[in-house]
Amino acid sequence: MPNQSSPNRYGAVAQGFHWLIAALIVTQFTLGWLADDLPLGAHKLALLARHKSFGMTVLMLAVLRLLWRLFNRPPQLPSGMSKNGMLLARATHIAFYVLLFAMPLTGWTMSSAKNYPVSWFGRFTWPNLISPNEHAFELLRSTHHLLSDALFAIAILHIFAALKHHFWNKDDVLVRMLPFTKSEKRS
Amino acid sequence: MKRSFAALCAGIFLAAAAAAGGVAGYTADAQKSRLEFAGVQAGAEFKGVFHKFTAAVEFAPDALASSHFEVQIDMNSVDSMDKDRDSTMRGPDVFDVAHAPTAHYVTKSFAKTAGGFSAVGALTLRGVTKDVPIDFQFSPGPAGATLAGSAKLKRLDFGVGRGDWKSTEWVEDAVKISFSLVLKPTT
Repeated sequence: MPNQSSPNRYGAVAQGFHWLIAALIVTQFTLGWLADDLPLGAHKLALLARHKSFGMTVLMLAVLRLLWRLFNRPPQLPSGMSKNGMLLARATHIAFYVLLFAMPLTGWTMSSAKNYPVSWFGRFTWPNLISPNEHAFELLRSTHHLLSDALFAIAILHIFAALKHHFWNKDDVLVRMLPFTKSEKRS
Repeated sequence: MKRSFAALCAGIFLAAAAAAGGVAGYTADAQKSRLEFAGVQAGAEFKGVFHKFTAAVEFAPDALASSHFEVQIDMNSVDSMDKDRDSTMRGPDVFDVAHAPTAHYVTKSFAKTAGGFSAVGALTLRGVTKDVPIDFQFSPGPAGATLAGSAKLKRLDFGVGRGDWKSTEWVEDAVKISFSLVLKPTT
């Protein structure tokens, strides 16, 4: 599989970013949900430490992915798609990119506001973005939660759209993002 | 005659010792002095302060043998810039302020170092007393002096951290203390 995307298939790098970040996001939701209702204790610290390390990983990957995307055109959308469909697809993808930055950045700022600086797997510590502030923390926490709801909704939409393309439209929109498959012009 | 000569000699000796070992007495200005600690959670350092403490300092660089520090810290005044963490720290598993509301530090000996001075003192924390060395610099000024320094201790030496907090996996054993005292002469 070539590293770069072609007009009808995502390359290895784009696929790698897609699936690695997708897996990290699933992990992030799991850790976030588990930690959310826990009282302050070692268990909560452990879950959130991992949540923050993975989150900062997503942020770093998002920077690389955005750069890759800017210099490597993704495959075109199927020509048979409606104008509204194409618009919705583009809007969803843009929203994903915005959230890939907004989620970790609000999380990082939120940790700074609560004076729990962010470590990356214990290897190094990220600087605090703002000074500790209870009011700012509450505001950032609600924003982080709201954005996670939006991310969840968009992810569901994205998955359903991919399945619809594959089973209903019978085009190659899903397959061209799958490793170990060959894109054939399906129709 | 012999006795009074001996008494005279002893008197001269004591007066000479007092002149050589003349220490100046100070107290810390509560408004301008700062007592800070730094712990490590999940690999990232966080800082906090104790707002209420008193320090009685008797010190002269040329009279280390008769110098003496005595510090009392109100453990309730802990502030790590997060209310949840502060109440956990006041609780029975960490500082247990209900049973040990104050921490004490009393010096036993002083020494000159390359960069300033060092002292060894007995720290009583959570009812446990152990020697803790400190390093500091003493700078006399027109209206008193400043005393700035640091110490390192292991929280578990004092039983600070029980139950969930006994593990050092998410909260490290080592804690750094730093202080910067503005001293006023005692009148």
